[in-house]
Amino acid sequence: MRTSFLRFLTAAVLALGCAGVAQAAKLAIIGFQMSSETHARVVNSAKAAAEAKGWDVQVLNSKGDMSTHINQLENLLLTRPDGIIVAMGKPLQAQEQFRKAKEAGIPLVTVMSGTSPDALVDVAVNEYSAGAQAALYLLDHLNYRGNILTQRFEGNAGTRIRGKILDVVLSENPSVKQISTHTMARTASWRDDVQAGMNALLLKNQGKVDGIWASFDAQAYIIDDILRQQGAKKGKPVLVSIDGGPETYRRIADPDSLLMATVMIPFEKMGEKAVEVVERVGIKKEPRESIAHGPYIYLDAELVDAANVQNYLKN
Amino acid sequence: MSKTHFHVWLSRYGTCIAGIALFVFFAMWAPNFLSLLNLSNIMKQISFMAVLGLGFSLALLVSELDLSFANVCSLCAVCVAWFVHNGHPPELAVAAGLLVGIGAGVLNGLLVTVLRIPSLIATLATASVANGLSFMVTQGVAFVGQWDSRFLWIGRGTVFGIPALIFWLLVVNLLAWFMLKQTRLGFRMLAVGEATEAARLAGVNVRVIKIIGLALSGLAAGVTAVLMTSSLASAAPNAAADLMLTAIAAVLLGMTMFEPGRANVPGTLVGAIIIGMLGNGLVLMGVEYYFQDILLGLIIVVSVALSSSVLKKAAFSI
Repeated sequence: MRTSFLRFLTAAVLALGCAGVAQAAKLAIIGFQMSSETHARVVNSAKAAAEAKGWDVQVLNSKGDMSTHINQLENLLLTRPDGIIVAMGKPLQAQEQFRKAKEAGIPLVTVMSGTSPDALVDVAVNEYSAGAQAALYLLDHLNYRGNILTQRFEGNAGTRIRGKILDVVLSENPSVKQISTHTMARTASWRDDVQAGMNALLLKNQGKVDGIWASFDAQAYIIDDILRQQGAKKGKPVLVSIDGGPETYRRIADPDSLLMATVMIPFEKMGEKAVEVVERVGIKKEPRESIAHGPYIYLDAELVDAANVQNYLKN
Repeated sequence: MSKTHFHVWLSRYGTCIAGIALFVFFAMWAPNFLSLLNLSNIMKQISFMAVLGLGFSLALLVSELDLSFANVCSLCAVCVAWFVHNGHPPELAVAAGLLVGIGAGVLNGLLVTVLRIPSLIATLATASVANGLSFMVTQGVAFVGQWDSRFLWIGRGTVFGIPALIFWLLVVNLLAWFMLKQTRLGFRMLAVGEATEAARLAGVNVRVIKIIGLALSGLAAGVTAVLMTSSLASAAPNAAADLMLTAIAAVLLGMTMFEPGRANVPGTLVGAIIIGMLGNGLVLMGVEYYFQDILLGLIIVVSVALSSSVLKKAAFSI
């Protein structure tokens, strides 16, 4: 009698355990460089969104290293998760691992990584539109005449597109002149590079600069700090950039900061969208075409300046 | 077995036994860990770290620290990629990568022996130069896209049914072991590392041996660059940056086994396998990424504490 009861109890526990395991979907998220705030924001929001659905989530950090990234993908494929999200990955270099994921029937969604025939979709922001918004905001505040400095970064597709759109806008508005530019190197010490480069440009063009355009917010913080040390006041020069985030909003609202506006890239929403895609296609088995027709899902970017920054500071 | 003999045995094989215990642990708890595919993945994944670590070991054996190997490896990788992408035959690209590595190693050797700059500082300077050159070649943008299939075979093909990366890893380790244990050069390197003054008095040209030790470290960086570029089909200016810590950790771990207190070939290989196994097993078990870094840090601290004076001697001889 006692043995039978124990057997029943064991079977019940095992059945409950198995049912629990079967219910929880397993999601793996790889952030290519978690020390970058934007990568971390995508990953953390995706993780929170998946955990809110009761999924088991494993987060990995490739530390910006391609071989680590590929090894992690290889290892993850063996764990057969229900979905993989890659934030700011390199589909071209990880082509083979993406293909293996597709062959294994594991839905793989990328965020701001570019397209891959083996990924379900890339969740991205329309960088062309974001670049145009930032460029036109700057020119508007200069009344379409004056001199600007630019701080660029060519090593990333998004920031490169933003720079190219700025060039198009400038080519149609010749009264605004780019008098100097600095292109940041892709190194761990990029902050030092931006600081040294912009210090030199500001010194060289003292008194002649009406506006500064930075390809992403973290560059703008460094420029803002330099300008504040030099005693510059908000609006002279006009400083704009692109990305968004709590620190950016704080600076836009701060009367002592030179940062006037940013175009908010919805990193958190991109992470959430990636989870939604995994759920709809991977778990609920909706057809991929119901998600997007092309390889991208574009999310809207929004201009944030003094007029609406309070809405973002509240969040 | 007497107590002393047991202590000697434990100091030689204790870490190795801990590695076996780790293997058994993952075999029991990490899903798919024991599958042939996964074991092959682990060996492929450690190949870069193990070859770079081997180079670091060879420099350490002549009592010098080479902290430039990761940056030199990245420079070699972009040089190899430049040659392949500009339509040169793969043989030439490979030769260029190896020569750049050897050149950087010889430069380190000359800075240390001729200008008498401590290796810790000289190799950091070389690392900085190599980093700058890598960015000069690439302008910060990685080489990707179409690659010569013969070149890709080096890292992605198979040799006698064994994945090429594993094959090269074994070949390089066997060559290094043979050189150290069976050749006069190997004995001289060990002699210079163990007792520089005694070796000098015995007629060994210490300067040349130290240059060779550092040049071999550069060569290992070149070999790793070729394997890495052909395997990943890409070469970025910071391609090997992340391998520095793990490769040094593999060497330190290796110094706690087989020949305790001294960098050695099998020790470095087993050290790399333990670190690779740890990373792989933790992913399979679903452990979060930051625990891997924490464990790696702990391994370094414990292995340095366990290994004796060689590393400290090299590090503090400035």
